[in-house]
Amino acid sequence: MVLAGGQGERLHPLTKDRAKPAVPFGGIYRLIDFTLSNCLNSGIRKINVLTQYKSYSLARHLRMGWSVFNSELNEFLEVIPPQQRYTERWYQGTADAIFQNIYSLELERPRLVLILSGDHIYKMDYRELIRAHRDKEAGLTVACVEAPVNDARRLGVAQVDNDSRITGFQEKPLNPQPMPGDPEHCLASMGVYLFDCGVLVQRVIEDMKTDSDHDFGKNIIPRMIETDRVYAWNFKDENRKTVKYWRDIGTLDSYYDANMDLVQIDPLFNLYDEGWPVRTYQHQRPPAKTAFEEPGTGRTGNVFNSIMSSGCIVSGATVRRSILSPSVFVHSYATIEDSILMENVEVHRHARIRRAIIDKQVAIPEEEEIGYNSDIDRKRFTVTESGLVVIPKGMSLRNTP
Amino acid sequence: MQWSGRRVGDTYFKGDDATVKTVLVVEDHKHERILYERELTAEGYRVILAENGREALQKTQEERPDAVVLDINMPQMDGLEALGRILEAHHKTPVIINTAYSSYKGSFMSWAADAYVIKSSDLTELKDRLREALSRGETEGV
Repeated sequence: MVLAGGQGERLHPLTKDRAKPAVPFGGIYRLIDFTLSNCLNSGIRKINVLTQYKSYSLARHLRMGWSVFNSELNEFLEVIPPQQRYTERWYQGTADAIFQNIYSLELERPRLVLILSGDHIYKMDYRELIRAHRDKEAGLTVACVEAPVNDARRLGVAQVDNDSRITGFQEKPLNPQPMPGDPEHCLASMGVYLFDCGVLVQRVIEDMKTDSDHDFGKNIIPRMIETDRVYAWNFKDENRKTVKYWRDIGTLDSYYDANMDLVQIDPLFNLYDEGWPVRTYQHQRPPAKTAFEEPGTGRTGNVFNSIMSSGCIVSGATVRRSILSPSVFVHSYATIEDSILMENVEVHRHARIRRAIIDKQVAIPEEEEIGYNSDIDRKRFTVTESGLVVIPKGMSLRNTP
Repeated sequence: MQWSGRRVGDTYFKGDDATVKTVLVVEDHKHERILYERELTAEGYRVILAENGREALQKTQEERPDAVVLDINMPQMDGLEALGRILEAHHKTPVIINTAYSSYKGSFMSWAADAYVIKSSDLTELKDRLREALSRGETEGV
């Protein structure tokens, strides 16, 4: 069950017209591709994606990119909007989303149910999690990762005994309890929950009978510690770097940082591992290209430490440490640095862009400057705390001062 | 059967005590409705009736019963759908499924009921489960 219904308000304006899991990432992907690729790479081929707000582009992406399941083999990826079977309300919380879709579990009658988020970036072999769950004869196993104490304030934090059994759990605690022997780190929940199906149904129904936020982290897990065998599973990272990689894309700044994790010389998050392919949908497009080599005039197509997707043309312009989604066109003498340009963005001559996220179908006029004067930027665009400029999809800049 | 209460409309009261609990009985068969109404009124409950799930939701909303006795096979809206809707809108109201079939125990939504009673001419079990559900509600301060 992939929870893909969050509003993603903190990612506004990227979520102005799309659900958070459908936000483009890393040039050619959408956020949900990483979780779904984990499923595929783990042999999980019975998937329900629970959508809610602005699900049009998400549903379209899943139809175009993820129609790889064979119903004759009992495989499926179902996109399930709220059924309003029992209520006219939208999902009150993550547990309510499961409650309102109990019927879909009843049809399938699985032994285990994996609950995932559609907006996290990580590589996990869920089979390892399932093995641990069975070994411990757990009712619920929560995938956990070490996180700095400061980050843990916006996550779920677990305390475990020597056998990895969870003895305490707090969602978004003000004072996160560090791990024994490591005052700098907490054991944080990754929002990946593996339940025995019967236990899940029972606990979700019980929770519906209480005044609660109907949230797994806030309500269900803390209560289950008293009644069930709840275990933590220490994240084994298939990314295979020294530091485990898991990102919860909560804010524009964290979205930007996670993108930039892809463009280092030895990127923190490796998209090039053939043993762990990340699937997405791509149109057929011509190859990316650069044009012009005129060192004397500065009209040379240069791209450094960047991701260039298919269909891009960098013509006599310079691009540094940036991510260009498909069909981005950068004209001569323009400079782009530390930025994310989404599909069909066109940057005209002599424009200069620095630390900006430019959503699809925006044309940057000639000699325009973005990211160089935060007072001017703030009058026109969303500017984050760290000074990142975000231009929404399709915004017209022709007549703006 | 000894009738010691007074009659208001279609409803019998055993007494005027404010502690009298209201039970909504949802049942599509008329003769069964009459039976439950009499038997439960004799137990000291104020009994209100509904003929299907849709009516049950309406009565739950209007009358705020202390407990619901719910059949499953009914026209318009069945008991399982009504159960889910009662849980969403009035999650503290105990619901007792009262059906001729045991097979609905396999349905996840039936797990949301406080008790599952197989219909019988002897209403002892139904009355026992009802008493338990209502006393649980009292101790939980509902």
